[in-house]
Amino acid sequence: MSQAAQRSRYVLKRLLQAVPVVVAIVVVNFFLLQLAEGDAVDVLAGEAGSATPEYMAQLREKFGLDKPLLVQLGVYMKNMLTFDLGYSFRHDMPVAQLVLDRLMPTLLLMVSTITLAVGFGIVLGLIAASNLNKWRDNIISVFALVSYATPLFWVGLMMIVVFSLKLRWFPTSGMENVAMFYEGWDRVKDIAHHLVMPTLTLSLFYLALYTRLMRASMLEQASMDYVTTARAKGLTERRIVFVHILRNALLPVVTMAGVQVGSLIGGSVIVESVFAWPGLGMLAFEALFSRDLNLLLGIFLLSALLVVAINLVVDLLYSFLDPRIEVG
Amino acid sequence: MVRCTLKSLTSESLVKKLCTAALAVVAVAVSSQAISQSAGGTMVMIAQPEPPSLAPYLSTSGPIGLVAPKIYNGLLDYDLDLNPVPELAQSWEVSDDGLTVTFKLQEGVTWHDGEPFTSADVQFTIMEVLKQFHPRGPNSFREVSSIDTPDDTTAIFNLDNPAPYMMRALSAYESPIVPKHLLEGKDIREAELSGKPVGTGPFKFVEWKKGQYIRLDKNEDYWKEGLPLLDRIVARIIPDASTRTAAMESGEVHYGAFGAIPNIDVVRLRDLDDIGVTTDGYAMINPMALIEFDTTRAPFDNKALRQAISMSVDRQFLIDNIWFGYGKPATSAMTSNYEPLGLYKATENYPAAPDVEAANALLDEAGLEADADGVRATATIDLIPYGEDWRRLGEYMKQAMADIGVKLELRYEDVPTWLKRVYADYDFELNVNYFYQLPDPVIGVQRHYGTDQIRQGTPFVNSARYSNPQVDELLASGAMEVDAARRGEIYAELQDILAEDLPVVNLFEMEFLTVFNQKLKDHTVSAMGAYGSFDRAWIDD
Repeated sequence: MSQAAQRSRYVLKRLLQAVPVVVAIVVVNFFLLQLAEGDAVDVLAGEAGSATPEYMAQLREKFGLDKPLLVQLGVYMKNMLTFDLGYSFRHDMPVAQLVLDRLMPTLLLMVSTITLAVGFGIVLGLIAASNLNKWRDNIISVFALVSYATPLFWVGLMMIVVFSLKLRWFPTSGMENVAMFYEGWDRVKDIAHHLVMPTLTLSLFYLALYTRLMRASMLEQASMDYVTTARAKGLTERRIVFVHILRNALLPVVTMAGVQVGSLIGGSVIVESVFAWPGLGMLAFEALFSRDLNLLLGIFLLSALLVVAINLVVDLLYSFLDPRIEVG
Repeated sequence: MVRCTLKSLTSESLVKKLCTAALAVVAVAVSSQAISQSAGGTMVMIAQPEPPSLAPYLSTSGPIGLVAPKIYNGLLDYDLDLNPVPELAQSWEVSDDGLTVTFKLQEGVTWHDGEPFTSADVQFTIMEVLKQFHPRGPNSFREVSSIDTPDDTTAIFNLDNPAPYMMRALSAYESPIVPKHLLEGKDIREAELSGKPVGTGPFKFVEWKKGQYIRLDKNEDYWKEGLPLLDRIVARIIPDASTRTAAMESGEVHYGAFGAIPNIDVVRLRDLDDIGVTTDGYAMINPMALIEFDTTRAPFDNKALRQAISMSVDRQFLIDNIWFGYGKPATSAMTSNYEPLGLYKATENYPAAPDVEAANALLDEAGLEADADGVRATATIDLIPYGEDWRRLGEYMKQAMADIGVKLELRYEDVPTWLKRVYADYDFELNVNYFYQLPDPVIGVQRHYGTDQIRQGTPFVNSARYSNPQVDELLASGAMEVDAARRGEIYAELQDILAEDLPVVNLFEMEFLTVFNQKLKDHTVSAMGAYGSFDRAWIDD
């Protein structure tokens, strides 16, 4: 069998395996969410200031909350099969539309963060490992330790104090300038301008992680036999580091990045909240407190799909980085 | 539009002369406006939390109130002294027996979609929408049996009984007039209007980016000549309180009301030159912090215990230490802001300074003996989950009530859990909360004490399950009494009874804070404050 055919068979197999995983995630989440006291109707009535019991019963009937749990689950699964994620009663909008609206800002933040964190993490880890126990290594290690140990919300607020309030370089929050409502390229620039601080804040934490991981991984590989062999062959140190060690040292970093993309969706709640970034994390957080179960399940489903997809990509990336690892 | 302000006039240059000349022209053209006002510009305000909809006719949710009155008009507005002033109604007349109210409406008003506004819209709004679906509407308009519309600009309300309080419930926030042509024949709760409002107000709805902002643009055809002054209002959603403060400080937002900027930050911001703070604009809201008791079971079925708690709470301490000095100790079941209406009376059991000794004596007398540990009663106190301040209040209560032998456990849950516990399951003993007492006791206070207000499952009503026929009678007659002096006597008697029974112990009259950028002018011009239309607000660049 050709390698390409083998690869596509593998992808197909993995996708099929993902189906029960996703279904299980939905079912487990559905029952977990039932454990929370109160429902969407309680919240809606509370927010409205007052409501009659008849109206609340009517709402429950409309939302299908008066039916037995298993029936509710059945209805949800049935709708899911037709890619209908249901309706968010809190936002008075279809869940799919709400989630898609928030997907772009989330991806923007996630992709820029991962790129920055992994990219700089690899470079810093490399520098640290090549200058073991010298001043460069020490500085990088201390930097990594400090940024790993600092709470995200504090970093975010300090960024705002320093760069928005004192230096006036960046806006404090939001995704675009709502006094101006730019169009076209100006809007792209405006959004990029707003993206800087959230990205820096969020990537600082992950950057530290990748730096430490890369450094350790480089050091581990450097003591391997194949490095000694390469050196004995008379290869230059430069070639040994960049061609031999680096490629092998990248594997754990890629694994880690794959795992973390999933957590980035939810893990950015703090950063989204501090910078008023309109992402999925905030949406999920608010949905929980308003008992907007349809919306929450929709977000969970999307995250699950994203994690499954990214894990698949990571596995494929392995075989590319290290041809000895075979897919199949 | 010429942008000349007093500030630009002080700079010396040719511009000065040009400005002066231009201003002279403008001044002649718009002689009614002060010279320093300039039109144009965007005002950015904070809407927090994000409104659940933009349907003020279905929900009294606070953030809806911040946005919707810019889009919808009411029949009346209220000046800072609570006097009604014309809005969609240019004049009105109450008959001598109080049973007919005739409104003469403004002429030439159109909805944002171009349709003409008529008395039919008023009739439809009150009878078919507010009276049926608004949380407080059935109460505000309960005496309205029909509305006659002899012509397009006259609406005659026919009442079963006099309803003096109704005249204070006609603002754009409390009773917005909505378009009949977009709601008639539809399921009012389902209609598209709730997400895409169409009103007669100074600003038109343009766009709502969930999680980011709501954008309103100037209504060029607004029926008030020369208004609004602003080109645009954007309500921004910023979840984090510290970020809201920073955005205010950096000038990105101009206006934040209803505690959008927490008191702890206001103390710092108010010293900055370009930031102002006011407690004006909340006289129609009258928020009251309070404790409600389950009066149906031990230990709080004993009114001596409730009285002892009211006597031993240090209200001024709470205000000074938790709310940074903003607030006023409660002295009655009703807010002292009712005083101009003659409806307020200071009462017993609301001492100026806490009297722990008297409280202990009272409890001894009532036979609530302390055990070996000095404990007379134990209970769990629920705290309204609207922020850290309320937790601090709970911690104070725990400590202070130990002095009279009441041992409290604190419980702080999330909003749905708490609402269900207190109002649906009645599974609580005492609950810290706050209520809007609103412009009139019929609208704001009655729901807390009437026997007919024991409505299981309905939030923010009589959860104490307090029932007193005498109180019910006074509430009923107070609602209908047209004579102001007589009405005052009825409510004075009511307040005395409630001070004795104390199903609810009021803690303090809350003062919400409005924080604003000094560039923003004329924002708090009516008793409605942040719930106002902002048609006269302008930005001094």
